Amino acid sequence: MFFEFPFEIPYLLTLLLVVPLTGAVVTLAMGGKRQKYAKYSAGVFSGITMLLSLVLLFTPDLSVYNESYPWIDTAGLRMSYILTVDGLSILMVFLTGLLVFLSTVFSAREKDRPNCFFALMLAMEVGLMGVYTSADYFLFYIMWEVTLIPMYFMISWFGGPRRHYAAIKFFIYTHVASLVMLIGIFALVFGAAGGGIADFSFEAVLAGSVAFGSTFQMLVFGLLFFGFAVKMPIVPFHTWLPDAHVEAPTAGSVLLAGVMLKMGSYGIIRVCLEVLPEGAQYWQPIMIFIGVLAMIYGAYACIAQKDLKKMVAFSSISHMGMVMISMACLSSTGIEFAIFQMFAHGLISAVLFMVCGMAGHSIGTREIPLLGGIAGKMPVFAAFMMFGFMASLGLPGLVGFWAEFGIIFSFYDYSVSADMIWLIAFCLISLLLTAGYYLWAMQRTLFGRLTDRIDLSHIHDVSRPEAIALGAICALIALYGLWPDLALGFVDGYASSLAASLGVI
Amino acid sequence: MIFDSSVVTAIFGQFAPLAPMIVLIIGALILPAVFFSTKRREAVTAVSMAVIAVSLLFNILMMVDGYQGEYAGLFSYDAFAGIMILLFQVVIFLAALVSVSSSETTRMHYGAYNSLLLAASVGMMFVATASDLITIFLGVELASIMSYVLVAMKRSDPRAAEAAVKYVIIGGLSTALTLYGLSMLYGVAGTTNIADIAASLSTQEFSWAFGIAMITMIAGYGFKVAAVPFHMWAPDVYEGAATPVSMFLGTGSKKVGFVALFKVFLVIFVAANATASFATEEIQYVFAVIAAITMTVGNVVAISQNNIKRMLAYSSIAQAGYILIVMAVMTEYALASGMFHMFTHVFMKGGAFLVVGALITVGIGEKISDYRGLAKRAPLIALAMAVFLFALAGIPPLAGFTSKVFLFSSAIYDNGVMTQWIWLAFIAILNSAISLYYYMRVVKAMFIDRGETSERIKIPRTFAAAVAICFVFVCVLGVFPQLIMDFCADAASVLFG
Repeated sequence: MFFEFPFEIPYLLTLLLVVPLTGAVVTLAMGGKRQKYAKYSAGVFSGITMLLSLVLLFTPDLSVYNESYPWIDTAGLRMSYILTVDGLSILMVFLTGLLVFLSTVFSAREKDRPNCFFALMLAMEVGLMGVYTSADYFLFYIMWEVTLIPMYFMISWFGGPRRHYAAIKFFIYTHVASLVMLIGIFALVFGAAGGGIADFSFEAVLAGSVAFGSTFQMLVFGLLFFGFAVKMPIVPFHTWLPDAHVEAPTAGSVLLAGVMLKMGSYGIIRVCLEVLPEGAQYWQPIMIFIGVLAMIYGAYACIAQKDLKKMVAFSSISHMGMVMISMACLSSTGIEFAIFQMFAHGLISAVLFMVCGMAGHSIGTREIPLLGGIAGKMPVFAAFMMFGFMASLGLPGLVGFWAEFGIIFSFYDYSVSADMIWLIAFCLISLLLTAGYYLWAMQRTLFGRLTDRIDLSHIHDVSRPEAIALGAICALIALYGLWPDLALGFVDGYASSLAASLGVI
Repeated sequence: MIFDSSVVTAIFGQFAPLAPMIVLIIGALILPAVFFSTKRREAVTAVSMAVIAVSLLFNILMMVDGYQGEYAGLFSYDAFAGIMILLFQVVIFLAALVSVSSSETTRMHYGAYNSLLLAASVGMMFVATASDLITIFLGVELASIMSYVLVAMKRSDPRAAEAAVKYVIIGGLSTALTLYGLSMLYGVAGTTNIADIAASLSTQEFSWAFGIAMITMIAGYGFKVAAVPFHMWAPDVYEGAATPVSMFLGTGSKKVGFVALFKVFLVIFVAANATASFATEEIQYVFAVIAAITMTVGNVVAISQNNIKRMLAYSSIAQAGYILIVMAVMTEYALASGMFHMFTHVFMKGGAFLVVGALITVGIGEKISDYRGLAKRAPLIALAMAVFLFALAGIPPLAGFTSKVFLFSSAIYDNGVMTQWIWLAFIAILNSAISLYYYMRVVKAMFIDRGETSERIKIPRTFAAAVAICFVFVCVLGVFPQLIMDFCADAASVLFG
């Protein structure tokens, strides 16, 4: 590594939880007359969190930051407070820190109850950081649910006209899914305990998992997979996502698409693939099918959307479908690029949702048919939008290209080895559709004759905080696009060891 | 250490096992006199708070010290009695604290009201310490009769009269059934001492008399805990009674039924299980089915309620269904988790009832629609209510989640063996998902819907204090369950010998 962080910060992972939590409380307290300071408080606390997560990227040996303390030990159950970070989680932790900070910057002009708004974002950050760092199923589940409530309030307080419906739908879908996941977790923990104390730590469950029979692995994989995949989301259970995105405020959408959806794929890799390799083998065709379905259906649905933000929401479904097929390959490259795509899509979707948010905010509408020729009026906005769309459709030189390239590469490998070479056609169709809907949307909104269907008298181009946030993410998209090894370097070791354990069967 | 259980034994001598109750009985007797002489509600409350505090102090001294003792073969104080007495003391403390400023108690004879509250809790504690069928029965009756009067005391409201009549009739039926069952049990075993019954039964074959005794006792105590199909009275009574009384009934009085069930059934069956000639498994299935139906009916019917007290009543029924898992699983760990859930339930459900009572006092109605925009008018109270409801729904990291994890996992796993009750855990988890819906309705009304006014509300101080206590415990017990769970585990090991 070209630069190493010179010293070790004690309790770094705990700080990743404590700093945003403190920030949430402090920011929430800035009501009434102190409202104008809320954004500074949120900026400082999320900034510190981002810097802390950045330190991790420059730490050669991540295991120095492992923390483990006994927590609950009673009547045959043992839960511990264990935090770790490894090749799978480090990019997600960084992404969380980055996106929370940048969407705070982006929303700096929030006027409506800013203290509540920023406090909810910081509260969400606690849950997200917790999900990605906890190494105990009890803690993991708690953190998983902790992300839910701030998001619910985020949508239903600051959302669009149909926010109540969207918020409750989001809550019920994901909560029911997490209860199914909880059943799966119970099964894992008690199955792994095998007569001894039921230890909820990842380590103990992994150690006990050698005793799992095939039927057990199959069933439990199904439960856990369902729980995680609804969050991702998968196609028949995806309908909460477009609603939630359309109604959520911009910062909420950025976090929802950027890091919350990744909780689902993270869970599948971390729990399903790591602990239940035999179940993974059994479910592989179904995962491929679901992934392909999400990929194609999401892209296809994009074409029909009139709302720019809804289109981006469906494109998220399509891109998460790519993550699914990639990890379903169960190969080293497949897993590696699934994780890389999670990271890439986190960056790109942040740009896309910020752009959509600005369209709604500055132009006054996100309806594609009402727009046209905006590029002339808002050149900076148009540049960011084009950049985001190009990154998302996989323009070489940007981060999305490498992710999709790797995914198609590993999927090709899989389809050859499975003797179903025609499967690769779906990837190509999806790429074609993706390029199609993005270019078509761009053409209709940015170029052509300036629209006369809406009042353009008071539209304004990108404001400074918005430009800073967008510029930073775009720079990262380009940086990781030119130098993907910066991110892949972390994932490499993890992916090959996981693939090795999957091949052991 | 100067302060340990020797203080209690020095004061009470051979009556030491009854010390917490004796203090309360004295309090119950002097409270009407206090009211007559001062005519001040504050004075009555101060005295009853003091009495409860002394009783609490004695109990905690005895509990922490691991005191054990028995009196006349009828009462015995052990870890199980200690933790359950503590539960009833918490309930009575909260109820007595808020009653002073509740608008629903203003027209009552306040001395008598407090006296009845204390006496009812003495009855509950008798059940917790009882080691004999007779004392269990007496305790349940003492608690029940006082409760009938407490419900009927809200004379301004015709719903209270209806509720009281229903409560008396159903309660009488339940008493008759229980007594019939107890007499059959006496006929079979030839003794009324619970431990002796267990010993005597372990040498016998299964008889029909015993079966009838079990069925009638399940029905009798089923009424007390409001298990389906014996639950019809609960919503009417909780709705009709003054809210502090509803809180007392929903969190305290209901637990009496559970304590009695634990004492009678678990001791008998665990002791008799060794012989295997008994119908333990059949009884377990009966309880499992009742538990599944109770939680499902409670949750499903709660969805359609518009009155928040009725909704909380149905949610109480559902919670009773969860606790009945203990009776189906019948393991030590299940008992410990069930007792822990009873504890967290006191704070979650008690807290929710207290918020309702506080809002009635400041003139907000009982309809869920009356709660619209509450977050603007009383942000802290709305936050507390949301936390109680989320805890009831089992959202981590609140107390309700942790206790549900313990309770449901006890239905899955026992000492390294998967139990046959996994299906029950499934139903319970599905029910948790259903329950979220109606709790969310209230949260949505409070935080998201717009109210007609945004005028600030001033909650009476005693209510605020009681709600704050519940709030703290709901949060703390979720993260540090072992504060109470360890005591519950000790208590369960006492009952299981």
